[in-house]
Amino acid sequence: MSEQLTEGQRTVLRELMNLGQRVPASQLANNLNQGEERVISILNSLASRSLVQIHTREIVSHSLTNEGLGYVESGLPEVLLFSGVKVLGGKATFDDAVAHSGLDPNTKGIAMNWARKNGWVQISKEDGTTVLRSLVDTPESEMSDVLEQLSTGKESVSTTHTESLKQALERKLVSEVVTKKFEAEIIGAKLGEVDQLLSVGVKGLGDLTPEILSSGAWKKESFRPYNVDIQPAYANYGKKHPYAEFNDWLREIMVGLGFTEWFGPYVETEFWGHDTLFVPQDHVAREVQDQFRVAAPYDHGFIMDRKYYKAVKAVHENGGDTGSKGWDWPYSEEVATRLCLRPHTTPVSMRFLYEHREGPQKMFIIDRNFRSETLSATHGQEFDQCEGIIMDKGLSLRDLLGYLTSICKGVGIEKLKFKPGQFPFTEPSVETFGKHEKLGWIELGGSGIFRPEVTRPLGIKETVLAWGLGSGRLYMAAMGINDIRDLFSRDLNWLRRSHFVR
Amino acid sequence: MIVECRIDDLLSLIGKKLSMKKLEDTLFLVKAEIEKIEGNIIEIEVNPDRQDMLSTEGIARVVRAFLRFESGLKKYPVKKSGKQIIVKPGLNKIRPFICCSIIKGIPSDDELIKEYMHLQDALTSTHGRNRKKASIGLYVYDDLEFPVFYGPQIPEKIKFVPLGYEIEMDGPTIMKDHEKGVEFGPIIQAHKKWPLLYDSKDQVLSLPPIINSNYLGRMTTETRNLFVEVTGTHLLTVHQALNIITASLAERGGKVESVTVEYPDGTTDETPDFRPENMTIDVVDINAMIGLDLTGNEIIQALERTGFGAKLVKVKQVQVLIPKYRMDILHPVDVIEDIAIGYGFDNLLPAMPQTMTLGKVNPVTRLKNKVRDLMVGMGYHEVMNYIMSSPELLNDRMLRDRPVVTTGNPKSRNYSVLRNSLLPILLDFISQNQHADYPQKIFEVGDIAIPDESKETRVDQVPSVCGLLTDVRVNITKLMAEIGFLLRNLGLDEHFTFESEVNSDFIQGRSANIKIDGEQRGFFGEISPEILSNFGIGYPVVAFEIFLPRSTDWTH
Repeated sequence: MSEQLTEGQRTVLRELMNLGQRVPASQLANNLNQGEERVISILNSLASRSLVQIHTREIVSHSLTNEGLGYVESGLPEVLLFSGVKVLGGKATFDDAVAHSGLDPNTKGIAMNWARKNGWVQISKEDGTTVLRSLVDTPESEMSDVLEQLSTGKESVSTTHTESLKQALERKLVSEVVTKKFEAEIIGAKLGEVDQLLSVGVKGLGDLTPEILSSGAWKKESFRPYNVDIQPAYANYGKKHPYAEFNDWLREIMVGLGFTEWFGPYVETEFWGHDTLFVPQDHVAREVQDQFRVAAPYDHGFIMDRKYYKAVKAVHENGGDTGSKGWDWPYSEEVATRLCLRPHTTPVSMRFLYEHREGPQKMFIIDRNFRSETLSATHGQEFDQCEGIIMDKGLSLRDLLGYLTSICKGVGIEKLKFKPGQFPFTEPSVETFGKHEKLGWIELGGSGIFRPEVTRPLGIKETVLAWGLGSGRLYMAAMGINDIRDLFSRDLNWLRRSHFVR
Repeated sequence: MIVECRIDDLLSLIGKKLSMKKLEDTLFLVKAEIEKIEGNIIEIEVNPDRQDMLSTEGIARVVRAFLRFESGLKKYPVKKSGKQIIVKPGLNKIRPFICCSIIKGIPSDDELIKEYMHLQDALTSTHGRNRKKASIGLYVYDDLEFPVFYGPQIPEKIKFVPLGYEIEMDGPTIMKDHEKGVEFGPIIQAHKKWPLLYDSKDQVLSLPPIINSNYLGRMTTETRNLFVEVTGTHLLTVHQALNIITASLAERGGKVESVTVEYPDGTTDETPDFRPENMTIDVVDINAMIGLDLTGNEIIQALERTGFGAKLVKVKQVQVLIPKYRMDILHPVDVIEDIAIGYGFDNLLPAMPQTMTLGKVNPVTRLKNKVRDLMVGMGYHEVMNYIMSSPELLNDRMLRDRPVVTTGNPKSRNYSVLRNSLLPILLDFISQNQHADYPQKIFEVGDIAIPDESKETRVDQVPSVCGLLTDVRVNITKLMAEIGFLLRNLGLDEHFTFESEVNSDFIQGRSANIKIDGEQRGFFGEISPEILSNFGIGYPVVAFEIFLPRSTDWTH
């Protein structure tokens, strides 16, 4: 059955047969009222069956540029200049000739050059001024002919004018386009075979219908083949955003490692945003150049739990009952209730601990954070973090390194380096560097063991390990994105083409 | 914080030859990182808690201890100079504290002077909170006549030539015309009197925390003996700043002498005071936190590698001597971290995670994912946008006047508020994509922020879904069928109703509210031409937005 022709092949072959000679694909397409690309695709399929031979020809065509077109209307500058000299009696100063020629002053240099090269004028200096003398009666310009010929819609010029055409190209009066033309003909030796194939007629079933199925008619018939070798057209259907798919993937890994997802608000009081994390109230991270303050319609929130508030306040002022010295600095409720956009996801960990004070617990969150940055290729006012905590009895720094190793393995990073780090709310603190397949060693995120000043005010006695990953950065690496603004790309064409695969 | 050092200087302070690789690896293990090397200049990033590492001397001290060239508690001998600083009454509410030291016989060349100034700047900007809590002044010791006085003065009566100037200025002029006065004036300007430091010959040393005198406060390459003073509002911070800078100068070979500060209430303070602080920690707690089984001696070695003094008491406890230039030790856990660093992070083996818990996604995430799947099934393309937006887009272009969470310090008006609805965001999205193929069916599932006084943070954060369709022709009946498909597959068949309502977002007669169990939960319609033209959109648009519950229960 594979010998049979598709409907498309049949139509094209029949037309080639009718024309009986080598014809351009464009002509076939025209005759058949089909797209040229489709016809070429069909011709290729026929060529692969050795029925048709395709010839590829490069065709050079010429057309006038805007400047060239302008000269067809106004005349070439050198011709204009020459007539200026003529009007003035065959001898004139350069400036006078220009003035009487109607030349655009910008082209006067070109005009003089070509008038001289063509041997129409002689140029000399008299008393410091440039003087032109005409040497011929009428200016014979092949260039004008070239432009004239092309202006009539021709794509080539007479062969005697090739030199002038070259000049016109150099002067950018004419542009050159090379196009590929496909021509096809039936291979002579196969004429009989083609004839036979065509004479078989349209055999076989087109659409399979319920009637054909119920009658069983298909048993006696064969099916008409379709061309299934072609590349399908691009289409736009519904799908997910690649960055959302990436976050879905991360979430899957976290759940697989036994972490439970939690959430928290974008707008926070500084109590949750910093105080509960033992960030001193005069820390630079709270300054307006670092974090967004909320100014309207409300700039302060309130304290929900006075007992917890008092414990946090004591820890800041003198360490409370934690054995810490605290910050030895007055603690202000005004600062504590100030509203900000959360600069990290760690307040969410505190809100989780507030509700879960006994282990074992493992929690994670993947969500948006805000920093007062000007949007650029490397900085955004918004970024996502994937972070979490592990609470259990007897956890140690080595356990933290173990969790970091398994989380990083989960996202495909096997080689790690640990560096002591510093965060106000963890001690010891660890910075993790990972060997990324594309980027080399990159900083993956921070982690540590929550300080007693952070956990004790909640009455938590167990150890809490905390970790965070710059998830947006991992996504950018996976997608080969260099500009942070492309995380939230607003280019629908890009989105329609893009996908996250892991 | 970046510290810039000269490599030859750093290596000579370290005292032994080191390859750059060894230096880099060592710094990595003590919380520092090489940012850049250019010729003889090396830039080292130091963690902000280690103010004692903000200088070449400080970094060298840490490296020396870590590589065991000179480990254990570093001692700086202090001799009493017998000199006095007399604090006058009236500074309590302005800038009450002062600590000073004298350093004799320090080397100084142009490079060193630059470094001393750098350390002074770095310390006052970070540790001193931009001079608010503490500020530092260095003076030519030999030009001073002791005792030195620190007292309040009426601004107009303050007269001296400030650093970098040739002419005498009074207090108000300095605040107005001197760049440091303009920058730091607000720290003291509101007070009727300002703090002034002057000597027994009535020469002004400085107007803390603004500016030094040009005569006494200018170090030259001739200067060998220095008088250092730190003033501020927090005694501990002031002491620490003095200790850090004095220790650094002592590392350069200076001999330290102390001075007596006499406060008006009769108390005295002999500064600097390098007697170490004591902390006793149980060996068990140390091992439990790090996850090791170190002996007392191994712990002591690790402590000495990080610059602490240490000895065992009663076998089970370690007594730690904390150097006075370390201001990051608040709690035993801070010492334990240094034991881990001294042991070497590169020697710590990750342990296999043991904590068994069942993981699960948040119910809201599951609901959001369900909505996303249904939207994709109906042929919508998911988009993701910033949470931040502009009031112009959310309200002006939409002809809306809804409250919006507004930030006070945005870098750009385009990202100055939190979105209070997804519809304007998606309209803006399609207005940017009019070159892309039509039809365009897009959706976003994400949170919006609605001001709400009753909430702890005055904001109600609501998960929302918005779907939008634009084409040459759009059809609201089809959109309604899609909303029905969505809601029915969320289990809301027979719970939802559409009720026509005039809404300025939409063409009159072509919009309705979406109610769930009688409660308003969203809206849909064909966008009004006026709004389309505000967005510069040339195609008709139908859209809906539905507010999702925070659990799978729609009654909440």
